[in-house]
Amino acid sequence: MLTRLFKLQLFALLMLSSVGIYAQQIVSGSITDQDGNPLPGATVIIQGTDTGVSTDFDGNYSISAERGQTLEVSYIGYQVTTVVVGDQNQINLSLAADNELEEVVIIGYGALRKKDLTGTLDVVGSEDFTKGSVVSAQQLIQGKVAGVSIVSNSGAPGDGANVLIRGIGSLNLNSNPLYVVDGIPLDSGGVGGSRNTLNVINPNDIASMTVLKDASATAIYGSRAANGVILITTKKGQTGEIAFEFSSRATSFNPINKINVLNAAEFTSAVQATNDAEFISRLGTDDTDWQDEIYNQAFGINSTFSASGALKGVPFRASLGHTDQEGILLGDNFSRTTGSLNVSPQFLDGNLRVNLNTRYVFTQNDFANRGAIGSAAFFDPTKPVFDANSPFANYYTWLDADGSKLALSPTNPLALLNLTDDESDVNRVIANVKVDYDLPVDGLTATINAGIDNSTGEGISTQDANLPTDADGFNGSNNNYNNTSTNLLFDAYLNYARTFETSNLTLTAGHSYQSFEYDNSSTESIEYLNSDGSLNQDSSITQSFIDKSKNVLLSYFGRANYSINEKYLITATLRADASSKLPSEDRWGTFFSTAIAWNIHKESAGIENIFNDLKLRLGYGEVGNVNGLGDYNFLTRYTRSDIQSRYGFGSSFFTTFRPAPINKDLRWEVGQTYNAGLDFSFANFGLSGSVNAYIKNTNDLIATAIVDPFTNFGTTIDANIGDMENKGIEVELNTSLVDSEDFSFNLSYNFAVNDNTITRLENEQNVGDLGFGNSLQRHQEGKAPYAYYVYKQIYAEDGRPIEGAYADLNGDGQINNEDRYFYKDPYADMIMGLTASMRYKQLDLTVVSRASFGNYSYNSMSASSNLSQITNLNRLSNVHSDYLDTGFLFFSDRNSVSDHYIQNASFFRIDNLTLGYTIENVIGNNPLRAYITGDNLFVETNYNGIDPEITGGIDDNFYPRSRAWALGLDIKF
Amino acid sequence: MKKIIYLFGIIALTISCHNELDQNPIDPDLFTEVDVYKTANDARGALAKVYASLAITGQQGPAGDPDIDPSLIDEGFSQYTRILFNLNEATTDHAVVGWDNPGLPNLHEMSWDVNNGWTKGMYFRLAQVVSFANSFIENASGLAESDTEVSYYVAEARFIRAYAYLQLMDMYANVPLVTTVTTELPEQSNRAELFAFIEAELLELENELRGVGTNEYGRVDVAASWALLSRLYLNAETYIGEAKYTETIAQSEKVINSSYTLNTNDGNGNGSAYDELFLADNNTNGAQNEFIFLLQFDGLNSQSWGGSTFLVHAPIGGTMNPAEFGVNGGWAGYRTTKALVEKFSYAITATNAEGEPISWGDSRAMFHSDGQNYEMAKIPKFTEGYAVTKFRNVDVSGNAGSDSSGDHVDMDIPILRLAEVYLNYAEAVARNNGDSATALGLINQLRTRAGAPAATISEFNTQFVMDERSRELYWEGLRRSDLIRDNKFVTGSYLWPFKAGVAQGAASDNHRKIFPIPEDVLLVNTNLQQNPNY
Repeated sequence: MLTRLFKLQLFALLMLSSVGIYAQQIVSGSITDQDGNPLPGATVIIQGTDTGVSTDFDGNYSISAERGQTLEVSYIGYQVTTVVVGDQNQINLSLAADNELEEVVIIGYGALRKKDLTGTLDVVGSEDFTKGSVVSAQQLIQGKVAGVSIVSNSGAPGDGANVLIRGIGSLNLNSNPLYVVDGIPLDSGGVGGSRNTLNVINPNDIASMTVLKDASATAIYGSRAANGVILITTKKGQTGEIAFEFSSRATSFNPINKINVLNAAEFTSAVQATNDAEFISRLGTDDTDWQDEIYNQAFGINSTFSASGALKGVPFRASLGHTDQEGILLGDNFSRTTGSLNVSPQFLDGNLRVNLNTRYVFTQNDFANRGAIGSAAFFDPTKPVFDANSPFANYYTWLDADGSKLALSPTNPLALLNLTDDESDVNRVIANVKVDYDLPVDGLTATINAGIDNSTGEGISTQDANLPTDADGFNGSNNNYNNTSTNLLFDAYLNYARTFETSNLTLTAGHSYQSFEYDNSSTESIEYLNSDGSLNQDSSITQSFIDKSKNVLLSYFGRANYSINEKYLITATLRADASSKLPSEDRWGTFFSTAIAWNIHKESAGIENIFNDLKLRLGYGEVGNVNGLGDYNFLTRYTRSDIQSRYGFGSSFFTTFRPAPINKDLRWEVGQTYNAGLDFSFANFGLSGSVNAYIKNTNDLIATAIVDPFTNFGTTIDANIGDMENKGIEVELNTSLVDSEDFSFNLSYNFAVNDNTITRLENEQNVGDLGFGNSLQRHQEGKAPYAYYVYKQIYAEDGRPIEGAYADLNGDGQINNEDRYFYKDPYADMIMGLTASMRYKQLDLTVVSRASFGNYSYNSMSASSNLSQITNLNRLSNVHSDYLDTGFLFFSDRNSVSDHYIQNASFFRIDNLTLGYTIENVIGNNPLRAYITGDNLFVETNYNGIDPEITGGIDDNFYPRSRAWALGLDIKF
Repeated sequence: MKKIIYLFGIIALTISCHNELDQNPIDPDLFTEVDVYKTANDARGALAKVYASLAITGQQGPAGDPDIDPSLIDEGFSQYTRILFNLNEATTDHAVVGWDNPGLPNLHEMSWDVNNGWTKGMYFRLAQVVSFANSFIENASGLAESDTEVSYYVAEARFIRAYAYLQLMDMYANVPLVTTVTTELPEQSNRAELFAFIEAELLELENELRGVGTNEYGRVDVAASWALLSRLYLNAETYIGEAKYTETIAQSEKVINSSYTLNTNDGNGNGSAYDELFLADNNTNGAQNEFIFLLQFDGLNSQSWGGSTFLVHAPIGGTMNPAEFGVNGGWAGYRTTKALVEKFSYAITATNAEGEPISWGDSRAMFHSDGQNYEMAKIPKFTEGYAVTKFRNVDVSGNAGSDSSGDHVDMDIPILRLAEVYLNYAEAVARNNGDSATALGLINQLRTRAGAPAATISEFNTQFVMDERSRELYWEGLRRSDLIRDNKFVTGSYLWPFKAGVAQGAASDNHRKIFPIPEDVLLVNTNLQQNPNY
């Protein structure tokens, strides 16, 4: 295998190293419609290459091409027109209107016309992006693509999102897709102090996002693509005049949801009902809604300025963006400055094309202390925010008899927000240079892509000396941390395209090297004072931590696309990956995929009269996965103890060494996908869409597994433990109901059903830790992963749950662990998205909505509502208002794992509504658009927690999503 | 020519890429066997981990890099002596706990199930001690051949493994016997096999461990193997259905006649040399002469949320003043039942208006009665039941321990101390036969140093010794085993408040004399069968 790969590579390099010269000329001209109106943004590509440009606002283009090459001009809604380049330097074309959608789609290591595609993918262009107060790129396509679930991690500004393509594909490994920005795969690990991997991109710089769903589409990206790929193509410079664009938006974010806890009056009567004088004596007389105290209205502003065009014939695009956004949690702030520069010069008469992308982002975060969320929910509502008797900067605090903080009592949420600080600065640079060189063999192009993705973060988190803590003499602490991650990429590949009489062949072969290196360090210092106010040197601690790791991924890949008469298409991909995370004997994985497609509408004129496009696709592919696996799991390692965890022999303390758990049997987790799809577009009325059915088997799932603790050294290891299946159907429909000059109305709708089952598991696994050794969920063969495994609550006739009463499901006369049962799971059975867009003259209106069915959440906030929680530990604590229904007295190891707290969290949500007005010819003949946009406007659900949409289903101290209203302006000049 | 140079350059680059697949840890805190077992001095760090796994919870103090995956048990809860307290004291007449962490109230209620966090945590903790010890024994044996000091290290690791197995046998009975580093799923064993293994190991270690008094503080010498054998034989009837009281006496005598001595040094001058055993400076105040096997804690250098930090903080509440205990606050959790208080009825010196005892002429009765209800109406509230003041983070001069923040405690925890061996001897004499005068003399030594009146030979019987064990050793992690040996743990012959969850106390089921094997373990190792009736 290896030697063959070597030969392949050798061949590639030979090809690369030979240099030839070919005749290139600059062809320019204008593209218009049949009426002579310019078509801005039309695509002009050289057939069989991935070289292409777009027309400018006046429909002009300029491209360097060889004589004899074919220019292919396409524009949505118009027929594709081709012309062979002769001696002329000027080629003007007018395109005939056509309903056939002709798009060129960037796929891994190349590009293909959409009609030549065999895999399952969705392209969302910038015109279809959600236009709300979007800060994170993931939000742009939320609800737009069938089978893609995008759930923001929280309501915090700039926070990331959990993106699942066709359900969860892995148990413990990362189930998020691979993001590839202009050919550079992003490091999914992210960097400390950063909120979101995708914060590196200003959403305004994105031209399109392509979601690759099935393995035949993703296979070329290999092992990093096991859970799908999202290709992000940024806006590029065009030849022509320099055009400027400015967009700005001001947003107000408003808290809308609170955790439903007892108010002061309800709380007081609950405590009084105990008739216990001591408990009642702890009550205060205030009426504080702690959640109102910690959340406030927040503001944000977001601006982007860009210039694109050509300088001295070299196309470029440069942009500068700035976002400054507060969070609704007091003191939370996210600020981001992005800069990007794309230059694409050509040399040697266009035979050597260089594409240089540099992307820089600087983010500044103020992380509000999220501990305040739970603290505010459960802090005694009869207590004031401030208390003159409190030694902690007057923040009300439960005190001991001696005036110090009552041990284990909760910390005033406002003290947590105002007396702690966590700030970070993250610099990230992603730069790549891609060089395409047309070799002297016809249709053969060599490409080298070298990139670096470097993040450096530094932060400081501090605690004020006045912060209420149990510790005596606490004089504040600070923790300085630094994180660096460096990801290097080197790809070299060849593309060969050849057109035969009735068939087309494209071949791709190459080699890829990636390395990921992390270097995190932190220095922590905590100060304690003696009672006389002097610094206590013994107790005060300063210590440093260093955490480094590195892994390397090597790959060889090859792909062939072959089409006959544009009717029959076949693609085959082979990729060999090796990861340094795996032991040398299981390091290499070879993964194969293939797909066939049939353009049925090409079969006969009769069909073509009905369908512009009717394509059947069948595909099979496999992809390996080790994303998220630790770097050295197969080596024997010892971890050193820090200075506070040494052990004493005699009167000295010794650093200890702990052997780490080891797994020498790790091998690739392999996903196999079968996909059948049908794409259609009717010729005579505006309906198009696609239907896909898939089965995805993930074999040799890598997950954290408990080991028999007498073996190995740890209690858990990452191991290959079983197989899982996802199967489902996805439907996408796009319809243009009305399309006239003054009025248009389009609807796009998608839905997806997915069924996820563990098909093989070596051992059942308890998961969903609730913190006391209790597990809420269980992986078991034949069940959905993360299925809730709970007791069945028994209810009294009045509907109230009876404390401690559970159904004896196995009928053995006693209630024990054997009576737990599988009840629902956190993942949706069906998700759908509906986008409606209307235009009337200069007015445009878009509504984006989503729905999810069959997802169940565990309301962890209500699971702790019992009297013991209120009165325990010499203080009072609030509880979720579910207590008014249950009146439970105690926690037990059963009532926290009762089905009473598993609730249907199906929902319908209006994500965004945007109303815009465009004024033509504001500056020159450029338009100005003003708009108002609202996010998270409406949620309908029966779920009684704070938000039905929480990744993983365990609703615990969730940072609530706000409702946002924004005013914005886009202007071109 | 140039092309060829480029070509070779790129090929060389590619080959170097392939070499890059062999990555070794670059983290300065990660080591390999080569580093850890290079010299005797290095191996000491690995031995320290074998001890430390009974004392602290991970490689970052007080918490942050846990030994046991936190999905199984919270790191702070996972400390060995903390779980030992919960399983062996809070299940008995000695202690109740008011905290409502799921699974914790089930212990005193005797309603724990196969997923109980504490029974699970203990299984994982002790099994991990065994696997750490196995690893040390295997890796250090090469060094031990040429270095006598390392051979003592190996003997000590074997002792700790034997101790862990004794506890596993006591609590779970049917655990696998694993003595090598392995990834193979082990077969289930039983008390007969485990007993034989522990006995054989400890007998062999008599010739392997350092001589009495020749090791440094905190590391065991040969007396530890005798003391543990004494404990093993005392419980032989429970474990293997065969009494071995003669052996108990023989092993106890070796310890009693050794240079270990009862602490009689009343360092703080309060009239009793008993409380010194549980002070912050018990490594230097004289108490150390009584400690045969102990776990070292230090407020600055060996921190966790278990150990003595737990033992001091957790029982402070109500009107108790944390400053008197050398800590910054009380966790208002643990108290005792009147069944323990009644063990001191013979020495009551004062009662309150209700006629309830508040003062005793036996300084081991370390109870806080102010603001506490003698009769317990319910468990959760701290003021129900007398509080216990046995453990304190102050030295003999009243100074608080080294951690000025008042969080972490210096007090070392004795696991085997001479007084227990005295009582093992006395109990063996009482249950079988022997020199009851000597036995009584040993007990009276304990009483005398606590300022309590001496007992007479007419009082000497099994019940008397059992009650004396309660008085001397309460809250030291032995009570559940003692009650089982005495056939009183689950039976109706002895009831205490809230035994089995009933206010007046009730009998429980026989199967609760051993704990269930955690469900998580059974799921992984299908060779294992659950203990009966779980």
